[in-house]
Amino acid sequence: MSDEYRFIGKATPRGDALDIVTGRTKFVGDIKQYGMLYGKVLRSPHPHANIRSIDTAKAKRLRGVEAVLTHEDVPNWRGGVPAHLRVLDSKVRFVGDAVALIAARTEEIAAEARELIEVDYEVLPAVYDVVEAMKPDAPRLHAAFPGNVVPPGFPWFGPHTLQEVVIGDVEKGFEEADIVVEGACAYENFPNPLPPEPPGVIAAWEGADALTIWTASQGTFTDRTVLYYILGRKVNVRAHGVAVGGSYGSKNTAWLLIVQAAVLSLASGKPVKLCYTKEEQFAAFTLRLGSRIQARIGMKKDGTVTAISGDWLVNTGYYCAGTQGQVAVGCGEIQLVVRCPNWNLKPKVVCTNRAPSGIVRGYGGQELKCAFLPILTMALEKADLDPVEFFKNNYVKPGDGYYWRDGEWWVSNGVDYTKAIEEGAKAFGWKEKWKGWLKPTAVSGTKRIGVGVGVHGNADVGEDTSEAYVRLDPEGTATLYSSISEHGTGQRSSLCKMVAEVLQLPLERVSMTPPDSLANPYEFGTVGSRGTFAVGSAVIEATEDARRKLLELAAQKLDRPIEDLETADGVIYVRPTPEIRLPWKAVMGFDRTCLGHGRFEPNFTMPNFMMVFAEVEVDVETGQVALLRVGSATDVGQIIDPLNLENQLNGSLGSAGIDSAIFEETILDRATGRVMGGNMIDFKWRTFAELPPMQHVVLETPFPSHRFKAIGVGEITPSPGPAAVIMAISNAVGVRFYDYPITPDKILKALGKVQGRKARGGAA
Amino acid sequence: MKSFKHFNARTVAEAVQILKAFEGHAVLNAGGTDLLGALKDRFLPTYPEAVINIKTISGIDYVEEDAEGLRIGAMATLASIARSTVIKERYSVLAEAAGAVATPQIRNVATLGGNLCQDVRCWYYRYPHHVGGRILCLRKGSGPCQAVTGDNRYHAIIEGKRCFAVCPSDTAIALAALDAHIRITGPAGARSVPILDFFKTLGNVLKPDEMVTEIQIPRPADGNRQRFIKLTLRKPIDFAVVSVASIMMVENGICRGARIALGAIAPTPIRATKAEQEIVGKPIDAQTAAAAADVAVAAAKPLSMNGYKAVQARALVQRAILA
Repeated sequence: MSDEYRFIGKATPRGDALDIVTGRTKFVGDIKQYGMLYGKVLRSPHPHANIRSIDTAKAKRLRGVEAVLTHEDVPNWRGGVPAHLRVLDSKVRFVGDAVALIAARTEEIAAEARELIEVDYEVLPAVYDVVEAMKPDAPRLHAAFPGNVVPPGFPWFGPHTLQEVVIGDVEKGFEEADIVVEGACAYENFPNPLPPEPPGVIAAWEGADALTIWTASQGTFTDRTVLYYILGRKVNVRAHGVAVGGSYGSKNTAWLLIVQAAVLSLASGKPVKLCYTKEEQFAAFTLRLGSRIQARIGMKKDGTVTAISGDWLVNTGYYCAGTQGQVAVGCGEIQLVVRCPNWNLKPKVVCTNRAPSGIVRGYGGQELKCAFLPILTMALEKADLDPVEFFKNNYVKPGDGYYWRDGEWWVSNGVDYTKAIEEGAKAFGWKEKWKGWLKPTAVSGTKRIGVGVGVHGNADVGEDTSEAYVRLDPEGTATLYSSISEHGTGQRSSLCKMVAEVLQLPLERVSMTPPDSLANPYEFGTVGSRGTFAVGSAVIEATEDARRKLLELAAQKLDRPIEDLETADGVIYVRPTPEIRLPWKAVMGFDRTCLGHGRFEPNFTMPNFMMVFAEVEVDVETGQVALLRVGSATDVGQIIDPLNLENQLNGSLGSAGIDSAIFEETILDRATGRVMGGNMIDFKWRTFAELPPMQHVVLETPFPSHRFKAIGVGEITPSPGPAAVIMAISNAVGVRFYDYPITPDKILKALGKVQGRKARGGAA
Repeated sequence: MKSFKHFNARTVAEAVQILKAFEGHAVLNAGGTDLLGALKDRFLPTYPEAVINIKTISGIDYVEEDAEGLRIGAMATLASIARSTVIKERYSVLAEAAGAVATPQIRNVATLGGNLCQDVRCWYYRYPHHVGGRILCLRKGSGPCQAVTGDNRYHAIIEGKRCFAVCPSDTAIALAALDAHIRITGPAGARSVPILDFFKTLGNVLKPDEMVTEIQIPRPADGNRQRFIKLTLRKPIDFAVVSVASIMMVENGICRGARIALGAIAPTPIRATKAEQEIVGKPIDAQTAAAAADVAVAAAKPLSMNGYKAVQARALVQRAILA
């Protein structure tokens, strides 16, 4: 299929590759501004406390210290949804919460000053569990949230943001069911997405109402918009996007970090760089949401689901950055996986005295799906149905509808994924490996092998708006104006490829502006799964617009109808008589550019798709689990760049992905409220040395998206994985599990090999 | 990082002299793989006034064998031990243990002496100071052990009374099975202590002005078989959840001698002496191995969350005997 294109679908070098591997790429850590100070944060030792008093006098006297700020010194700026969290408050709500901010000439001085601040706390009781937090006598974290329940509503997604899945009549649905199952499952290991680069920013006030930041956020305009509202709707924020050392959603916007730097810059009158340490990234930056579901599912013997009801409890940590948006998308995504006429799924977002949870790839849907699928499979077991067949019958097909995040009913205009499922299952050898529910594929000594499968998809390939300009220069070059940040997926290079393909220009003649909210038109950012369809559509439209303007000029000059004109390699020629040709320069002169404009409006009609197959080996004597093999299946419409796509698919491992089923876990000590093992050794993450074999099936069925018929796969690659692995482990050892991650202690306990002494205090 | 004085020692005598001069306020930097993290996280209430680089001391990274046994300089890197022909041939349990530590990059700089002297991994003990303040405990002078009431999934199941942090060293477990001695040099000269006496619940026997200079291993009897098995949650860069090192003397299927050491289940390396006694003189089969394995963990008194470690330790002892 890719033969029809010059660049699209071909492996081409990433424009930024050489700079990254030779160390020339500049990250926040590499950037300095004149007179720049360094910020540090004093963090709370208590999970919940009122600050009685803070004495900063000694810290302020230390030579080289230029600002020390407490809750008494900062403006009443509030973030979160609804706006409820002050930059510094008279109350702390988790171990690691910000108590004071320091700016000094060096990091060492700032750290030393931090030691000199004396704080008197009134310690309050803390709560970490969602159910406990909702009890009437539970400690309340925010005055505005009775019962610690965050009110629904997410302005970004409009006035009707989806808050629940309520469709049909569940009572009737359960009456029609042959099988009714009920259960609870917790995906509450709060894995850290763990981008290699800890969060960092530089903030500098250029005037009373003008703030410039150098940010590693995924979206410069998200920073700009969010800060506009937080900073009192009068500050014009210019966001320079710098290379992002990984994000996995967590740096969608780091508003609190940015505002911390901004208040220090305001107080000191100088640019301030604030970079969290790795330990702060572990203990005080974005973790995945906690997700617990209590659900009831009704099903007919043939696998037709008749009713789904349940409570979905979402643990957002000490404040809510915008979890309602994740709940909305999760509620949309679950409808794509199960075809059911009767729903009553009610989410609640709850605050607890934990580190913040927020945006991590999978954005609500992975959290819900991982907790929901193990309960759904109870019904599949009772009906003795093969899960692959079930998913094939249930995954959303063209013509099927769903309520999406905006609360509107959308109908799929995408492709049927049956073929992708069938080919994925075939490549994995599913039929040979699947022996039935709770039955191992093979047994050898103490080792048991099991397989599992999971599925996920979202309609967010077309989420939010994008704008782009494309400028053609007489020299035969093109520049794309787009505020797309590069956080590792190669998106910037892929967009340049699209421009090159439309203009038939060699890749090296296409360049792109740096992400910058001043120089570029509006761009929601490289987030979700929107790069290929949403951003790509705006870029293609801008390129086609610029090309048309160029050809209009040429048509006048050549006195030919525009329909007869073509351009390639910076030359315009007449189609019937290609010997009649003019270089762009001859058409434009030296003093003209052609500027095209493109805009994309949200379109939720094309759900994407990802299926993950997993094969595990469990040692029933030690409880050790080895992930032997991962298979995947998707349909991307048209591959833009095969290597970037493969990396995206391989990236289903790591970073709060598949391994959150077996070892990725942020461990909270409930006696002290502290994160345990918050370092790169004790927090378990998979290294390259133990990547299992992976096999990806990628189909290219044309989508009605844009001229390249592509939608990509985006953020969803890890999302089906954890449920696939928990199914595989259950099948290997013959016991069901409902509490991620499945570590050796849980396996040995389930097999009755450990006399389960109940945890005293214990961990999350 | 907070500042400190830095010395490049040229000789062991010089390093010891600087240690003495700073009266307990100086630390040695061998490979630095453990030390630098400790300095950055500032989990100890004290901070060294001086750091003494001992990589600049030449001639203490040797591996030498004679009829009596093996002598290894404390500065020999784990990588050099893991690939040493002589160690792989007759002391393979040590080569395996050294090769099981961390990653190739870390093994290239981490030393045997440093691996033995590294600080424990207890996550209460190591809690970084800048994220809410360090946690004090007996190991730092005084304070309760948070692990007893907290998350103790990786803590000791045997012999943890005042402190439940486990010995993190893989090589120490191999050396315990090999009956090694640790040579210690101080201002008054050198002394040698058996490996099991080197470790104490709250640290080791080194005085503030002493350093480990050599590891001495008696030559094991010919025809023995050695094994090191380490369980971790992931393969690379992970400390043992449970480990076992074994040296078995087997003739015609009968066990003629056994030295089995267990790691990461107690504050120090321990020998499974009762299991050793149980198996010696008996044919090695599934039944005798199981009986010995039962004995090995009979003394375990797990905390609230680490009972599974006894099950794993039992499995490892069994596998080591049958290997």
